[in-house]
Amino acid sequence: MKAKYINPFLTASMNLFKNYLGVDCTSGAPFLNTDPQNLEEVTGIIGLAGETVGAVVLSFERETAMGVASKMAGKQYFNLSNEVIDIVGELVNIVAGNAKKDLLEFRISISLPGVLVGSGSKIKWPTGVPVITIPFDSDLGPFSVNVSLRVPE
Amino acid sequence: MNVLIIDDAMVMRNIHKNILLEFGLPDSSLYEAPDGKAALQIATSSAIDLFLVDWNMPELSGLDFVKAVRAMDTYKATPIIMVTSEAAKYNVLEAIEAGVTNYIVKPIKAELLKDKLEKYMLGR
Repeated sequence: MKAKYINPFLTASMNLFKNYLGVDCTSGAPFLNTDPQNLEEVTGIIGLAGETVGAVVLSFERETAMGVASKMAGKQYFNLSNEVIDIVGELVNIVAGNAKKDLLEFRISISLPGVLVGSGSKIKWPTGVPVITIPFDSDLGPFSVNVSLRVPE
Repeated sequence: MNVLIIDDAMVMRNIHKNILLEFGLPDSSLYEAPDGKAALQIATSSAIDLFLVDWNMPELSGLDFVKAVRAMDTYKATPIIMVTSEAAKYNVLEAIEAGVTNYIVKPIKAELLKDKLEKYMLGR
């Protein structure tokens, strides 16, 4: 998948975590994820539809999810409460919605976000569409932004 | 000034509410709804002076809420600020066409919302 389709998600993520939440973070090189069910414990998912099809998934370790949620809400969370789950859903919603600004080739609608906790649940990725993972390291722990988007060859 | 905050994410409603409280609005003037359908009920039973509305919500979306509320005689000219992650230009245009007065892309900066509020307070 061309960089022009991935960069909007990278930019939106950096803007959210670094500029808005003030979380010091760096991104690694995006790579083709050959095992996209193997994600961290807390995953926020949003579907993309309209003139293309796809999904965006934010994946956090438990501690990172709680740390990021604490930053967002301005109060400390010590467990994976419904509020933390709610916030993870909002984070993926912001990344997907903000990325649309720079995906000018398609008119895209985004679904309501969903959040999975634990390793038992499977993500329904679009069939036959590769998943690109952007790894991030932050002062709250690592996380990843995973993007699957059907684009022209 | 009664403000109705409409967002399905409780954390976002709280963030908006805190900004409004910091701005100086009393807690008693702030109303909340988790979707457009619940918001319409509040708008029918209370006199709202300003709406802050998200776009993507269950039951009734923010866009459909705006269309419904603009069809009510009471709210033809009431300020509606859409606060949403939807950042595409075509979304902004669609929202304006539906009757939105102002559009803020999440994540929301407190100062930006306060600037908009000040504008509407001065216009009252």
